[in-house]
Amino acid sequence: MPPRREEGDFVIAAHQLTKLYGRHRALDDVTLQVPPGTIGLLGPNGAGKSTFIKCLLNLETPTSGSAQVLGCDIRESNRGAREKVGYSPEQDSHIPGMAGCEYVTYCGQLSGLSFRQARQRAHEILDLVGMGQERYRQIDTYSTGMKQRAKLAQALVHDPKILFLDEPTNGLDPSGREYFLRLIGSLHRQLGTSVVISSHLLNDIERICDRVIIIARGRVLEHDSMENLKTRHRRIVEFAPSGEADRVAAALTAGGHAFQRLSNGRFRIEERSDSIEWLLELLREHRLPPGEIVANPNALHELFLRSLASADGNHA
Amino acid sequence: METTLDLSRCLEKPRGVAYRRWVITSTGLRQLLATRFFRLLLTLAWTAGVGMAACGLVFSQSVATGGWLERAATAFGPRAEALASAFGGLVLLYPDVCVTGLFTVVFWLQSFLGLWLCLVALTVLVPRLVTRDRASNALIIYLARPLTSVDYLVGKLGIVAGLLGLLWTGPLLFGWALSMLFAPNSDFLVYSISPLLRALLFNGVSLVVLAAVALGASALTRSSRITILLWISLWIIAGTLAGGSRSPEWLRRVSFTYNLHALRAHTLRLDTTLINAAEQLPLLSATLAAKLKSEGAKAAPTSLPGTLASLAGFVALSSVVFLRKLRPE
Repeated sequence: MPPRREEGDFVIAAHQLTKLYGRHRALDDVTLQVPPGTIGLLGPNGAGKSTFIKCLLNLETPTSGSAQVLGCDIRESNRGAREKVGYSPEQDSHIPGMAGCEYVTYCGQLSGLSFRQARQRAHEILDLVGMGQERYRQIDTYSTGMKQRAKLAQALVHDPKILFLDEPTNGLDPSGREYFLRLIGSLHRQLGTSVVISSHLLNDIERICDRVIIIARGRVLEHDSMENLKTRHRRIVEFAPSGEADRVAAALTAGGHAFQRLSNGRFRIEERSDSIEWLLELLREHRLPPGEIVANPNALHELFLRSLASADGNHA
Repeated sequence: METTLDLSRCLEKPRGVAYRRWVITSTGLRQLLATRFFRLLLTLAWTAGVGMAACGLVFSQSVATGGWLERAATAFGPRAEALASAFGGLVLLYPDVCVTGLFTVVFWLQSFLGLWLCLVALTVLVPRLVTRDRASNALIIYLARPLTSVDYLVGKLGIVAGLLGLLWTGPLLFGWALSMLFAPNSDFLVYSISPLLRALLFNGVSLVVLAAVALGASALTRSSRITILLWISLWIIAGTLAGGSRSPEWLRRVSFTYNLHALRAHTLRLDTTLINAAEQLPLLSATLAAKLKSEGAKAAPTSLPGTLASLAGFVALSSVVFLRKLRPE
C-alpha cells in the first residue's frame, strides 16, 4: 500500500467568506474548518455549493472574507493554492480535438508534470477510472459517462492532495456509478487524498463520506462528522415483518411504542434508544415471526430536510 | 468494499509556470501542424524563403570578382565585359544603395507574402485560440490548475507568435542567412542589416497587432463559425473598404490590414530606396530614373501618428475584449 501523506490540521479553512452577485448573496459569511477526509457538500439547487468550490479555487473572486486550501491563502498565493488541488466540474468541460489519453496527459503537464510522468500517470488513472481502448478516441465523441470518467481522470492525474468533485456520478449507468463511488471512497483511505464531493444524491454521500457540510441560501447550516450527525437524528427503526402484521401492530401498541404503518407494509417506529434490542425482545415475548430491521433509515435525508426547513424559518 | 488504487505517486517537484505556458503553446502548434492546410502554407512560406536566398545568392555572385556574370561576359566580347565590370563596380561604389536597396525590395515582397500567409493561417487558427475553449468549457480546466488567465493568454499568444515565426520570420531569417553565407564580402552583411532590422521591426509590430486582434476576435463569441466570419470581416471586408481610392480617412483607420500596410511603408521605406537609386546611381537612364522617382513617390507612407494610433486602438480594444471574456462560465 502506498505511504500515506502527512496531513495538516485542516484542508479547508474559510473565514467570513462572502460572495455577492449584485444584491444576491451566493455565499453569506461562511466560516468553517474542514479536516482531511471524504467530505460531502449537500444543498438544494442554488444553495451556493458550486460558488463555494469556485471561490476556493479562485475561479470566482470572493467579495469579502478569506480562505485557505491546504494551508495556502487563496488570494495571496493564487497559483500555489491550486498546485495540489484537483477539480472535476459539473458541466462537460474538455479540450476539443484531443483523444482521451492526450487530454489527461495535457492536463498533467498543465499542472507541472513532465511529459513522461504525465503520460504514465494518465494511463494509470484512465485504467483506474475504467476507461479501456476508448482513451485513444477523440474526446468529442464520448458518451456522458465516458466524459465523466475523463473528467475524474484529469482531476486526479497530478496526484492532488485535495479533490473537488461537482456531481461526479451524473450520467453514469448504475454499475459505473457503483464503481465511481467505491473509487472515490477509497481515495482518502488509501492515498490520503481528501475529497470534497458536491451531490444531490444523499445516499451516495451517506455511503462514502465521513463528514458532511449542508449549505442553503449561501450559509452553512450543518458541518459535522457523519457519525455525530446521525446521533443527533431522531432514532427511527423500520421493521418489515414476514407475516402477522396485525399482531405486530397490537404488540407495539401494547408496549406503548409510537409507530406508523407505511404503504409498503413496513412499520416505522420512533424510539429514544439507538439499540434495537427492545424490538428483538418484543418479538420474542409475543412469539412474532422475524423480519427485516433497518435502524436510522434515511437519517441524512431527514437531517437535510430539517436543516433546510430551519433555514427557511430563519429566513422568513 | 474498496477499489485497490495501484498508482504511482508524483514525487517530482512540479515544473514552473514558464513550462506550463510552453505546454499550451507547443500543444496548440502541434495541433495546427497536424492539419494539411497549415502544412501547405508552411511549404509556400519556406519556398519563398529559399527563393529569397536564391535571389541574394544570384545577386552576390553576379557582382563578385570572378563571379558567373563576369565569366559569362567574357564570352560576349569586351563591351559586355566592360558592362559587367561597371555593374560590379557600381555595387562596390554604392553598396548602401545597391545592397540595401536589393534587400529592402526583397524583404518588402516577402512581407506581403508573409503577412498574407499569416492572415490565411489565422483564419483557421482563430477559432482554436479561445472560441473552442469557451464553447467546451475548457477554460475552467485551465483556470482550476496552477495557471492564471494571464498564463493562459501568454500560452495562446505563443501559438500566434509560433505561427508568425514559422510562416514569416523563419523564412525571412533563413533566406537572409543563406544569402549571407555565400556573399563575396562583408559589404553584403553590413548593408543588409538595416533592411533586415526594419523588416524584423515590422514583423514584431505585426505580431503584436495580429495576436491582439486574433485573440480578441476569438474570445468574442462561443461559435467557431461566427469567429471565422468576424475575422474575415475584419480582414477582407474592412481591408477592401479602406483600400478604395476615395475612402475617407476614418474608414481607412478601421482596417487593421490597411494600417499594417501603411506601417510597412514607414518601416521598410521602399520610397527612399527607389528615390536614392534614381538620384545616386550614375548608370541609370533619365527615363528609368524618373520612373523610379515616381514609383518611390507612390510608395511614400501616409501619416505615421494616425497609423500608430489606429493600431494601438485595435490592440487596446482587443485586449479589453479578451480580458473581459476570459472567465469561467
